[in-house]
Amino acid sequence: MSTIAKKPGQLLWFALLSLCLIAAAGAAGYSFMVGHEQAFNVNRGVPWGILIATYVFLAISCSGLCLISSLGHVFGFHEFTLISKRAILLAILCLMGAFGAIGLDLEHPFNMIYTLLSPNFSSGIWWMGTIYGIYLGILVVEFYALMTDNHKLSIVTGSLGFLFAIAAPSVLGSVFGLTLARPFWHGSFMPVYIIITALVSGTALIIMVMYFHHFVRNLEMDKQDRRLIRLLGRILALMIFVLIFSVFWNVIVGLYGKQPGHYEPVMALISGKLSLNFWMGEIIIGLVVPLLLLMRHDRTPFSTMMASLLALIGMFFMRYDMTIAGQLYPLRLQEYGLEDGLFSYSPSLSEVLIVIGCLAFSAFAYTLAEKLLKLDTDREQHS
Amino acid sequence: MKKDKRYAIVLDTRRCIDCKACTVACKTENNVPLPEDTCRNWVTEEPLRGSYPNLGQSFAPSQCNQCENPPCNSVCPTSATGITEGGIVTVNPDKCIGCKYCMLACPYDARYYNEETGAIDKCTFCIQRLAVGRIPACVETCPTKVRTFGDLNDPCSEVSILLAKNRHRVLKPELGTKPFLFYLI
Repeated sequence: MSTIAKKPGQLLWFALLSLCLIAAAGAAGYSFMVGHEQAFNVNRGVPWGILIATYVFLAISCSGLCLISSLGHVFGFHEFTLISKRAILLAILCLMGAFGAIGLDLEHPFNMIYTLLSPNFSSGIWWMGTIYGIYLGILVVEFYALMTDNHKLSIVTGSLGFLFAIAAPSVLGSVFGLTLARPFWHGSFMPVYIIITALVSGTALIIMVMYFHHFVRNLEMDKQDRRLIRLLGRILALMIFVLIFSVFWNVIVGLYGKQPGHYEPVMALISGKLSLNFWMGEIIIGLVVPLLLLMRHDRTPFSTMMASLLALIGMFFMRYDMTIAGQLYPLRLQEYGLEDGLFSYSPSLSEVLIVIGCLAFSAFAYTLAEKLLKLDTDREQHS
Repeated sequence: MKKDKRYAIVLDTRRCIDCKACTVACKTENNVPLPEDTCRNWVTEEPLRGSYPNLGQSFAPSQCNQCENPPCNSVCPTSATGITEGGIVTVNPDKCIGCKYCMLACPYDARYYNEETGAIDKCTFCIQRLAVGRIPACVETCPTKVRTFGDLNDPCSEVSILLAKNRHRVLKPELGTKPFLFYLI
């Protein structure tokens, strides 16, 4: 196991994350005391806010990590086995963060017991919760298998994990896609789109983990590391390229024919309330700049990491915009709280603190695990 | 053999004067919290027609459509939403997790989160009144008799007769929800 150089930065990092967690715990406690209606800015028109967007972001990042990791221990691309343990560990922690976000968004999380006592098999949320619940179990066993070098078990759980990594985000997409009342979401586009974004998020996250793993420990990247990070950069570029076309066609379909309920949210994205998020957050930060960085012939691990960081930020904006835009169009005339014919939403301080807390939880737990567990493969232990 | 009841409301919106007595009666009967956006029923003021001095305006009262194929029922992960005798869509607050998916799935925006009960709430055609042989509060209170309530499976009920004699429509029929709130044309 690599020796971790003691740095004051490390203490500062943990202190910062602890502060975020304490603030989030305070916000969560406050929201349960005064009620979500008071603490959160969600309302009758926009009942799903930034916490749901965060849940989607973290849950699909988990699936993306698992998909990328499976290239190594399931599909036999040996370069990727270098990152398997870290990818699976981070996938577990992202999923736990995601569960935290959705758990704190629910008004009565303890009533979840009724998903077992009186399940509704026609509910997308039931399937999503069940699949992600089983998936978490599989990931934990897979991580155990990787840590104990149990190849047989890791191949079995890895294969199962791969299936669930495809199934889970597609079911998550169907939660939106099956909502007939919301034309912006409704259709078969959402499940496929969510899988593509899962691959972007997962690849970007694992590149960042690889980069910072070396950076924090002052380790030199050897030829194999550089080759892997270059390969991951190419995968990320390909996925971003595919995603650009998905976003493009989603906008064109929304504009074409001006279908009520689809047209207005798309207009809100391209020239309305969400346009700054869309153009700056999604398109420039999330797609164009990362793609340009990744297309450069002389790209370095640092520029690849920067592209990944920007793509991840863009993915968060994308999740936020997708969640909110679908709810902006009123379902009946003369609803309360309309501005220019659309609902509006901006997150409250409590919501923002809880989001920061969920992200900080995953980061805190991962950093701690890096310190406590042996996550390097045998090849790396010489360093 | 006697058929099961199938409750419906027929609305003649030409009679509506926008007094909102239905909303007030509903709030009182069902302990609906006061804010304007928490309501089980509502009256929509449609845009003014014509130009001064020849003006006209219509009002459209509405509520849960008690659909035969309710999307809110399909999406509820804990089966908190159910359909009772008479086709009334209800919510069991003890099972509701407050995920609000049903609020997003309902094409009529008929659901809201009730802070006081801590669960999603909606119109139940005043099911507690039906149990003792009374009609829904909104129907009873309307001074111009916009709403008519009854059993569509009874061919002699007032709602059956109204629908047989008059052209009518339902809201958003293209969604396949099969609503049981009928608007006379």
